[in-house]
Amino acid sequence: MVSVAFINPLSDEGEIIVRELGDFGRVLSDNDDLMQIVTGSRSQEISNDSFIPRNYVDLAIKRIEWFVKKKNDRNFDNNQYDFLFNTEILKFDVIAFYLLCQAVGVKYGPNSRESRVMVESQGKLIEYRLEKLSKNVREEVVTNILNSLISSTHIKWTFFEDLISTKKLKLQDLILDQGEIVLDKDDFLERFSHKIHGRKPEKMYEALIGDRIKELVMIKMVMQNTENYILKVGEKSDREIEPNPILLELADKISDVLAASVRSYGIGGSYRGNVKASALNPKAFPPCVKKVMEGMKSGGRNDAIIMFLTPFISYARLYPSVFSENITKQISDIDPSLSIVQNEVLPLIFEAAERCTPPLFEDQPQDKVNLNAKLGFGMHQDPDLKNEGETIWYTPMSCEKVKIHLPSLCKPDENCKKIGNPLSYYNMMIWKVRKEAKTESTTDNKE
Amino acid sequence: MIKIEYLTPASPEERKRYYREEWDIKQVPDFIAHSIQEREFGFDHVGRGPNDRYKVFRNPDLLKRFLKVRTPFAAYCSVAFYDKPRRRDKWTKAELVFDVDAKDIPIRTCECEGVCEICLNEAREIVCGIIDTLKEDLGLKNIHIVYSGRGYHVRVLDDDVTHVNSDVRSQIVKYIVGAEVPENEYSLDYEKVSYEHFVIPFGYPNVFTERVKYSILHLNEHSNLDEVNKKLLKDVLKYRPLIEDNNWGMFKNKIGPLRYKKVVNGIASMNMSLVDAKVSIDLKRILRLPSSLHSMVSMKCTEVKNIETFDPFKEAVPKFVYERK
Ligand code: SF4
Ligand SMILES: [Zn+2]
Repeated sequence: MVSVAFINPLSDEGEIIVRELGDFGRVLSDNDDLMQIVTGSRSQEISNDSFIPRNYVDLAIKRIEWFVKKKNDRNFDNNQYDFLFNTEILKFDVIAFYLLCQAVGVKYGPNSRESRVMVESQGKLIEYRLEKLSKNVREEVVTNILNSLISSTHIKWTFFEDLISTKKLKLQDLILDQGEIVLDKDDFLERFSHKIHGRKPEKMYEALIGDRIKELVMIKMVMQNTENYILKVGEKSDREIEPNPILLELADKISDVLAASVRSYGIGGSYRGNVKASALNPKAFPPCVKKVMEGMKSGGRNDAIIMFLTPFISYARLYPSVFSENITKQISDIDPSLSIVQNEVLPLIFEAAERCTPPLFEDQPQDKVNLNAKLGFGMHQDPDLKNEGETIWYTPMSCEKVKIHLPSLCKPDENCKKIGNPLSYYNMMIWKVRKEAKTESTTDNKE
Repeated sequence: MIKIEYLTPASPEERKRYYREEWDIKQVPDFIAHSIQEREFGFDHVGRGPNDRYKVFRNPDLLKRFLKVRTPFAAYCSVAFYDKPRRRDKWTKAELVFDVDAKDIPIRTCECEGVCEICLNEAREIVCGIIDTLKEDLGLKNIHIVYSGRGYHVRVLDDDVTHVNSDVRSQIVKYIVGAEVPENEYSLDYEKVSYEHFVIPFGYPNVFTERVKYSILHLNEHSNLDEVNKKLLKDVLKYRPLIEDNNWGMFKNKIGPLRYKKVVNGIASMNMSLVDAKVSIDLKRILRLPSSLHSMVSMKCTEVKNIETFDPFKEAVPKFVYERK
């Protein structure tokens, strides 16, 4: 039986392990037990010393590294991290988890990129750890943890308010009935059997809820609790005078790992390849942008061109990696003479405005001023360096926002499932489109 | 013949008559009257939008005096509750609101410019669907419906939802309107099974089925659905009696599975316009005050007791309209 703490370090078992550690100073000294477990893991790659964590802090870093590389490195080799899936590592792993949360909480707080990566990495780690278990053991662990996290069999959907608010769970993924979430099989059969015709209710339960949803809910709850714990640490550290230097150092190392991944694999998105600013390729535009480019009917055309299209086109052309780099810039940081703005960005926007019925800037010249404002050039007719910074350069709306403010634009296709912002769609597609173009041209050459 | 006089603006004289002779403070629903001191009020005195805001009334009597004296073009009150409403300070909670405006619903069988009996009734039907889901799925009970003058406001006051943030509210909207096509393939241990939304008689797939059914039954040959061409639209219209009988499997067969997918995709993306989501996610919105006059259309904004049978042309027409010459 695998310990619950291997999946949920925030469980009672996990807390006991932390209490047993005692002296904090030990986390940096070489630990033979740890190294032995690591090198003894079944498929562990040991050809290089750097693969082997020597102490708790090392192990903590490895946890983050595993996640970041797995996501971004095309040559990722899981065998370098096999120890993470060896249940014998339990005690070390739990301590490493707490070290990470505390380091992130103290230095960066819950709304940071570091915190997000920590929370996501815990989620992924759980997924992969569960996969290595046999079906029975897996079911048992999941049920145990769920029972400890959810005390009642009648769960109101509002119990998951946090998870829904942070989009870890979608309301549509859950089966709701009379305000309650149905997870349990008997409960399901009692509520719905009589309504189901021509299909086996048991099978329907397995498909729609079953282990899949139970695991999903469990994992997301542990992730949410991790986030809450980081928040708690952050709030507590605000009241303290001196944070522990070991934690601060670990925090720096975590951001080094993230920074290194940005440098070597482009950005921390789910697609590979570097997104550098380059000429726009309309083929890679998401459906919503294509729709605006075709021109809008009078209703909503202002918002569509000014609030939606202007930020999208300007960022896609000048600063496509804004969300991963997460550094605020001005247009002139990238286009100092504004020649790209004048020659590439504005013409596209004006073209779309022209195609509106009636054409946008013809009957409402004030809109030109608003457009300028969205680019960061204040309330003026034309972009001018001397006014830059009077307003901020608006970042592109998320899909969520588009759906609410301009519902008629969003016509999601298959690729939309993987992204949350039209700009990410573009970044993902531009890479695909380029690859397709290349294969096309090589076939051309053969002929 | 009286019909021509419906839905035209009220004169300042008519406003005065309405507030002084017909309006009664008792028509302000309890869910507002009982929390009057916690809410912000706003007024539009001349018909250019509610720019007299941040008004507060310590009790219904003060509101009554204000309305009788000022006879505003329009009156509003916040969905939000505050400790200090005068400064919109110390927000404590807000009703969860769905705004269905007959003018903006995506499928209308009428071709009117503004609103008419037909689209108002369609708005009413949509509201009935929303309320079903709020009750059956989300388990909400403290639900009030208000006829706004050109559509409906669904206002929910259950403690479970009044404190939730905009993100949760936007998820609720998507669930309620059926904005996404449900999965239809599910993995079991050793096999994949497929269940179309219409074979699942509960949960979100069932909500989606209801919304699709409504839409298909209200399409006409002029309707515009993304990715659905004239020929496909014609076939949908031809076979839709099957859906009236809930014979979905047959309908899908007749249309063809790929084309069926196009139809439901088109409807899903249109569903986001069934309600004005901007209103639902706004935690500080002001809404037309029930009992007040919608002067643009000369209709009373009225709390609806029974939505199944409600007819605005019987219950929301002020007396002065009948006396117009
Ligand atoms: S999902 Fe996002 S990217 Fe796709 S069409 Fe909708 S708004 Fe655009
Ligand atoms: Zn109409």
